[in-house]
Amino acid sequence: MAAPDWLTSTRVAVVAGKGGVGSSTVAAAYALAAAREGADVLFVAVDGRPGMGPLLGGRELDSSDRILRRIKGAGQVRGRTIPADQAFGDYLELKGVGGMLRRAASAASLPMIAAATPGLEHLLVLGKIKELERERAADLIIVDAPPAGHAAPFLRSATGLSDVVQSGPVREQSVEVDAMLRDPARCRAMIVTLPEETPVTEALELGEELRSDIGMALLPAVVNSCWPDRPGLAKTPAMAARSQKITLSASAKSALASSTDFGRERLVRQREQIGRLADGIGVPLLTLPRLATPRLTLHQLGELADALVEPTIGATS
Amino acid sequence: MTDAASTESFRDEVASAELIVTCGPGGVGKTTTAAALGVAAARAGRRVVVVTVDPARRLADALGLEEGAAADAPHRVTGIPGIGKGSAGGELWALMLDAASTFDRLVHEQTANPKQAAAILENPVYRAISGSLAGAQEYMAIERLHQLYTSGEWDLVIVDTPPSRHAIDLLEAPDRLIGFLGHPVYRALTVGQRAFAKVTNAAASMFLWAVRRLAGPQIVEDTVEFFRSLANIEPGLRSRAKEVSVLLRSDAASFVVVSSPRAEAIGEAEHLIGALRDGSFPFGGVVVNLIHPMPEQLTAADRAALDGIDDGPLAEQLAWHDELTELASAEREEIAGLADLAEDVVVVELPLLAVDVHDVEGLVGLADRLVGGN
Repeated sequence: MAAPDWLTSTRVAVVAGKGGVGSSTVAAAYALAAAREGADVLFVAVDGRPGMGPLLGGRELDSSDRILRRIKGAGQVRGRTIPADQAFGDYLELKGVGGMLRRAASAASLPMIAAATPGLEHLLVLGKIKELERERAADLIIVDAPPAGHAAPFLRSATGLSDVVQSGPVREQSVEVDAMLRDPARCRAMIVTLPEETPVTEALELGEELRSDIGMALLPAVVNSCWPDRPGLAKTPAMAARSQKITLSASAKSALASSTDFGRERLVRQREQIGRLADGIGVPLLTLPRLATPRLTLHQLGELADALVEPTIGATS
Repeated sequence: MTDAASTESFRDEVASAELIVTCGPGGVGKTTTAAALGVAAARAGRRVVVVTVDPARRLADALGLEEGAAADAPHRVTGIPGIGKGSAGGELWALMLDAASTFDRLVHEQTANPKQAAAILENPVYRAISGSLAGAQEYMAIERLHQLYTSGEWDLVIVDTPPSRHAIDLLEAPDRLIGFLGHPVYRALTVGQRAFAKVTNAAASMFLWAVRRLAGPQIVEDTVEFFRSLANIEPGLRSRAKEVSVLLRSDAASFVVVSSPRAEAIGEAEHLIGALRDGSFPFGGVVVNLIHPMPEQLTAADRAALDGIDDGPLAEQLAWHDELTELASAEREEIAGLADLAEDVVVVELPLLAVDVHDVEGLVGLADRLVGGN
């Protein structure tokens, strides 16, 4: 199957979703899918949550750029975190500021400076990502954005700071980050959600926020943890048995009904919510299957990567 | 179909606690749980206020909360059966936390006069910090709790907390503020009312120089001005942070950890329980929400009879039966692990519901499950 165009349509993909929707997992699956197509992918975990390195087949992530997985005959996945203080040091060095200012900065310590310029830590991290993009550190940089309610403030740090900071390198940095976020060839966002009411509402709000407030282009949106569509669940077990000319015992009917009733209702609800998202989000959708085991394995991440390159639903791009 | 069933309940908690803090990972129904505990307490005859943070819109509507500053003041929640006229006399009120206006209120309370307050409130650095500073929301949730608790107007204050992967941030927020106010650079900048030019402390002047180089001269003046004006209310802030820190560890408080049975959420909940215990916070119980039902199991004979059916609707039903069983079993293993950690406290298990709770009726149903009613 040919790889979908969106997979490598930009150089920085920011994967974002509210807490609990599995956006880190989707970011990892995306990294794997792109590497399978030959891309050299750098996976960047912003808040350094544990377990992402091993999930991708390597060591736990830290601030140094390491190869997590090589795909035979194709690309590779590298991974790292970007701690704000390191981004700060790198930034000062990049700006050619000498020992005096660096000492001043360390004397004051980042938390103090960050308190004086709100949003600075986020901006420093985005600034580092922008540098990596500019020096073509990888074919594709996948950013696992901070979770919960923090994805939008994280991305908004560039524009938000301009109210407080009128001049100087921080101003320059925010202008440059802003330019990257607004350029679809350089950076796009992937919104992740679940096929449930509240997450879909929140995904629609996040999409609006990223597009209107920050000016970002969106990749296809991902609906994670979808039940496979099983038309057979529309029938009662008794009807299903009759249609297949099989006789079921009363206990078998009852046991199957206990799961079928629940599954039928979940599928109806899932279709409704996917429909609502498709109508409102303005980009095509990708659905990922729900995995029955609560702890994800390397093999299952591969299955998710497979599902990610399936054709999208809806073509409102 | 066997429901997720609990024999335990929060009946005692809602009848006697004066403060309940719900915390846990995002997306597990924390806000809904906080609201439902409020409903349960109001139905038990208590005057309750629930502080929500970022509620889903339909839940906010059900609680009568609208966007904007007005939502920051408590609103009476109406339409709950079993309270009000002729019954136990409980009341449920709700508000939506607005970090910036809570901070403003704190500034007003702690300043000697309106002029002093204005000097802080109008500072651009303050305006940027009060709403968006990392940790400000966490601290302000706790600050709001303290304001409501000490007002004496409420029998019970329930606070929902901002979703956080690092839920420990919330617990450390008061101590972090104390740390910030004790920072040598901050101290040097705010000692007395010396002019900026006379800041002689080496670290502080380096700090100012660094900020000016990085962010321009305007922000330096604003920052110094901000820190100076903050100095006026510093003793108040400091003692408030200490009071809050003590209050959260007192017998009046109870922390309820909310989780889902997903491994990722359970891991965070376990981490949080450890942090509560390490920090000597009163740990009141656990709610495991969104549990999938365990289907009735097929007998060996039935399974044998179904063996060999590999297509058609029946095959799909069988595959689904096995898949749901596998998922439900895995969830129950996760829950058992969590329950072991929390064996000395209440653990209530709640099933995944057909529809999200977004009206008073839904909250009443959930409240009954939490306190073991019908």
